[in-house]
Amino acid sequence: METIQLLMTGFEIALSWQNILYCLAGVSVGMIVGILPGLGPSAGTALLIPLTFAMDPISAIIMLSGIFYGSMYGGTITTVLVNVPGEAASVVTSLDGYPMAKKGRAGVALGISAIGSFVGGVVAIIGVALVAPHLVKFALSFGPPEYFALILFGMTMVVGLAGKSIIRGVLAVLIGLVLAMFGIAPSSGDIRFSFGQAFLIDGFDFVTIAMGLFGLSEILLGLEQQMKKPEKPPKVKGLFPSRQEIRPSAMSIGRGTVLGFFLGLIPGISSVVPSLLSYSMEKRLAKDPSRFGKGAIEGVAGPETANNSFTGGALIPLFLLGIPSSATMAVLLGAFVLHGLQPGPTLFVRHADFVWAVIASMFIGNLLLLFMNLPLAKFWAKIASIPFNMLFPIIIAVSIVGTYSISNSLWDVGGLLIFGLLGYVLKKADIPVAPIALVFILGKMMEESLLQTLGLYNGNFMEIFTRPISGTLMALSVLAIILSIIAGMKNKKALLGDSEV
Amino acid sequence: MKNYGVWVGISLLLFSLFMVRESLKYPYYGEYGPGPGLFPLWLSGLMGVFSILFILDSLRKNNKIMFSEVLPKGAALVGVLKVVLSIFLFIIISPFLGYIVSSIIVMLILLMPDFKWKISLGTAASVTVVLYVVFNLILDIPLPTNMLGW
Repeated sequence: METIQLLMTGFEIALSWQNILYCLAGVSVGMIVGILPGLGPSAGTALLIPLTFAMDPISAIIMLSGIFYGSMYGGTITTVLVNVPGEAASVVTSLDGYPMAKKGRAGVALGISAIGSFVGGVVAIIGVALVAPHLVKFALSFGPPEYFALILFGMTMVVGLAGKSIIRGVLAVLIGLVLAMFGIAPSSGDIRFSFGQAFLIDGFDFVTIAMGLFGLSEILLGLEQQMKKPEKPPKVKGLFPSRQEIRPSAMSIGRGTVLGFFLGLIPGISSVVPSLLSYSMEKRLAKDPSRFGKGAIEGVAGPETANNSFTGGALIPLFLLGIPSSATMAVLLGAFVLHGLQPGPTLFVRHADFVWAVIASMFIGNLLLLFMNLPLAKFWAKIASIPFNMLFPIIIAVSIVGTYSISNSLWDVGGLLIFGLLGYVLKKADIPVAPIALVFILGKMMEESLLQTLGLYNGNFMEIFTRPISGTLMALSVLAIILSIIAGMKNKKALLGDSEV
Repeated sequence: MKNYGVWVGISLLLFSLFMVRESLKYPYYGEYGPGPGLFPLWLSGLMGVFSILFILDSLRKNNKIMFSEVLPKGAALVGVLKVVLSIFLFIIISPFLGYIVSSIIVMLILLMPDFKWKISLGTAASVTVVLYVVFNLILDIPLPTNMLGW
């Protein structure tokens, strides 16, 4: 009952005209970010953080989270119509979405993915609204050892799923953690590794790192690939599936919703995983799997739903524990901190209005996207045909002014260049960059919880294994590492590194 | 030595050794518990270990990444260099020429060879003006200025 009341208060805030406008702006930009190749949701969200500096935190996060889930919708349109996946999670949709368009069924593919995305998104948000308040008490019982173990578990998941090998994944995590050590030490307040330079006193800025690693490095890599001009989008007509397709589509949407939501709860999983798992599940369950890859509607409905449901589910670890599930979530977390909100279980208690307003805005945002998506499909496809040569100078101009405005300093623009080059060099060596940003934001929190734990147990780290929750999480972390080593040896790992940038 | 992976590994190893040395300058354990040097020292040390593992991994036959495979050539190399140098140029000239002129110059460098000068100038000027209005006039962020104040 209390939940409904809180949600209603959330709606009251989210439905103010300026918040609706911010939500609309967020989802529109998200659609464009999802459509344009070379600008992933992480870079897109990071790019717009400076724009929110002057806004109040609720409106800012409403807009930024709109970019996040809006990009999921946007990526689908260009994938189906012109076979250009704007973001990584859409690659799975292209397997059957594009063949459907080739058969003249582009409208149906877009229709079912919009419906699936809407159902997945809304059900997941209802799930968050129902489940999260009950988990708050549980999360509030977390002490420093539990936090440390949880962050470590999240990192092992990132490593297990990142890239070509476990060595590269761990190396990426360590680079992120070492970068996080610059600046003020959490327990003692010492200024570390500033080398006498004023601009290093606060350490590196997360927005600079995210824009460099995700934005600039992608542009540099994009310049090396001959971007082929997208073909002319086909006509979009008939948005609904045929009568025989309704039942299998509904089943796929149902399965995708459940799968995506639960995967969202696990820290460290990138948005490609739910789409990929949903696709293989649908293929396995289908009566005639040979249809897949040739335009099977379940191959579009399932992954698209799982993708959006995942986005909703991932809000639980983000809001409750301050643990981002993906690179874009890490960027959102960075925005929370910039706006003075400390993520964690106390967020639900101290800033209940904020949490519920953001949740309510997601209902509104999903509804807006449903209406924007289908009737304007042609318009969105046109945006995808902007040549890369025209696009990247604009992205660079926005990146420069965006990073400059973080602290009105040209050092940050220098940082953008350095982290862009770092991302470029590492990606070429098959070292994934998404974990760097992901752990960077958690680095100080991890250090603080470790130091508090060691202080608590007089320096005996092994005590962490004796507490039930932290012990279980530590055991799971060890298990995750062992499993990924075995998987690596068998060479059966899917290459999912840097999947969400 | 033409193995790109090995050189990336060596660079990371050198960075980690440098960080180990710097971490040792901070107390490992203080009067009241663990000090600010503890975590960075462990992390830098582990980074060094994994850099060595990465170098060894890069030497394996199937994992070799050669410079010839990854270094951009021809137009791609020019494109990459242009982006890097234009951002660098912005850092150098904007304190003197101001945001508007510097941003237009950077965009022109990036747009010019691919588009006619009229289109390039139009795009560069309009994007710069929009960004100036949004960031400087609406969001009140003081962008770099020239002697004339813009």
